[in-house]
Amino acid sequence: MTDTLPQDEFLTESLAEEALKASEGAPREPRRTAGRRGKGIIRNILIAIPLIALVIWTVTPFFVTLSISLKDRAEVFSDPSLIPANPSLDAYAQVLASETFTTSFWNSVIVGVGTTLLTIVLAVPAAYAFARFRFRGRHLLLLFTLLPRLVPSIGVMIPIYRLAVTTQMLDKRITLIIVYTAMLLPLGVWLLVGFFQAIPREIEEAANVDGASLWGRLRYIVGPLAAPAMITVGVLAFREAWNEFTLVLVLVNSPGKRTLPFELYKMQGVEGIADYPIEAAFTVLTIIPFILVYTWVEKYVVAGIISGSGK
Amino acid sequence: MTTTTTAPKPKTDPKPKGDRRWWQRKEPPRRDNNAIIGVSKATPYLFSLPSILLVAGLLGFPVIYGLVQSLYRRPSLGAAPEWVGTENYTDMFSSDAFWHSLNKTGIFVVGSLVLGMALGLFFAFALFRVVGKLRFLRAITIGPYIVSNVAAAVMFRILFNSQFGTLNQAIEWLPWVDSGPRWLADPAVAMVTVIFTQVWTDLPLVILLILGGLMTIDKTHLDAALVDGATGWKRARHVTIPLLAPQILISIVWLSYSTLTGLGVVLALTGGGPLKATQTMAMEMYTVAFRNLEFNQALAIATFILILNALLTLGYVGIGRKYDYEA
Repeated sequence: MTDTLPQDEFLTESLAEEALKASEGAPREPRRTAGRRGKGIIRNILIAIPLIALVIWTVTPFFVTLSISLKDRAEVFSDPSLIPANPSLDAYAQVLASETFTTSFWNSVIVGVGTTLLTIVLAVPAAYAFARFRFRGRHLLLLFTLLPRLVPSIGVMIPIYRLAVTTQMLDKRITLIIVYTAMLLPLGVWLLVGFFQAIPREIEEAANVDGASLWGRLRYIVGPLAAPAMITVGVLAFREAWNEFTLVLVLVNSPGKRTLPFELYKMQGVEGIADYPIEAAFTVLTIIPFILVYTWVEKYVVAGIISGSGK
Repeated sequence: MTTTTTAPKPKTDPKPKGDRRWWQRKEPPRRDNNAIIGVSKATPYLFSLPSILLVAGLLGFPVIYGLVQSLYRRPSLGAAPEWVGTENYTDMFSSDAFWHSLNKTGIFVVGSLVLGMALGLFFAFALFRVVGKLRFLRAITIGPYIVSNVAAAVMFRILFNSQFGTLNQAIEWLPWVDSGPRWLADPAVAMVTVIFTQVWTDLPLVILLILGGLMTIDKTHLDAALVDGATGWKRARHVTIPLLAPQILISIVWLSYSTLTGLGVVLALTGGGPLKATQTMAMEMYTVAFRNLEFNQALAIATFILILNALLTLGYVGIGRKYDYEA
């Protein structure tokens, strides 16, 4: 609790705070009461078993995939052990050298970064307006927050596809960026509204008295204070764009425009006999970039997941 | 503010007055105007309009378009759509494929709910015991959340492979088992495989939601129960779980939403097969639209999914109201 970050204060009344605090190590009363101390070892084992189960449940698929990716095609069948006898990085070298991977990787990066930026650029002013001003249409906020629940991507898949066909927007990266942004905006706006409302109005009023314009207040006061929320929204947007699969499947055709999940899906289907090490290596390589992003901003991801579930 | 009977007059007076007096007519809430000093009236509209337009155009309009188009049909692939009224819907309700997929969706949703909630509660309770001590456990818990549906499908395809998959090797290691199930090729067990994969991808959220709920429980309730002699399972059953009701209900609604409308895992793992054993409604809609190219007929299925999902959302809102819970 000693290193509680300042942004935690602004997550008041949201569930995110509790989970954040929890994971940051909020002090809890010692759970062992005096009479039970003798059973310490048994208790610890009883606590450990479900936790080990949790680790096994989560990690096994990753581990198995990693293991297969280090074998060669023959070894997959001949060497059943989880830890390969002669591990090699050949599969990775092959994937990294293939054009399908590099092209789709850069497509994913472009779409991911584009979606993140566009989401933040659109969500921040909208959230600020909803949080600070009274204006006609303010009640749209409620609809905004419920829309992603009411309209899952499966419900708009066909209409958006038809729309892209008629406007000749099929097979373009910009289409993906716009569509993903629309999918993420309601959540992003809703998250940011909570943050903006938590920033005391008095700070802005004081700045206003000192002559700060609206832009100045946004740039020097609201922006820095809401930075954690913006990072959360950004990570959510990036994750959506990086992992989204069903919409890219219908909105993009040509090999040059596919993102990583699409290319990975194609790989399973097209090749007659599945090349498991290559598939596994491809999978690992699609996950690694996000893990890098994720470990960097893990705390925000936790907050984002929880708030994302609500709406 | 809660209205009390003690002093209603002084509190309610300024508002009607404000409506009558000229200097307060235009913008009723004075407090909010403070922030608009030097800001044009158009600002909030300019700020929020791009987002509203984009969301309306790509989430709102398509739904209406889909509803309208589900009343039309193309007689042949290149022909212009013709008005057929509710024929797409009556055809849908009389087709075996639809009922088959509805049935499969039911199994998928209920199976995922049972497995997901059981594991979610179990793991959340386990994590609650060591909360704050093992940070890396949190990172591991969230792991599946950062994986795309396709990557999860590939990983489970390797794990569940009947020739070299680790799972079957473990099963076949048992002396009395000849060969493990063919997880993806056998229609009888393919749905189990899909449910496992779906739950694996969705579980981090359930765990975090329930864990968040556990943190908010007032310790005094638990201590009181302990004093009364309720320990372990009894305490969980009669004290902790009832107190967790909102989080559990939200998790249930969220899991049903995710499985009812989820297409990625099914499509990437089995593609609806083998022998349509995992053909859920979302998969059926995709097949009708993008394999048979009968878009208008598929839109009827989409509408049906949207209605089911709207009912779920209403349930969600109801839960929020009932427990005064916002997350």
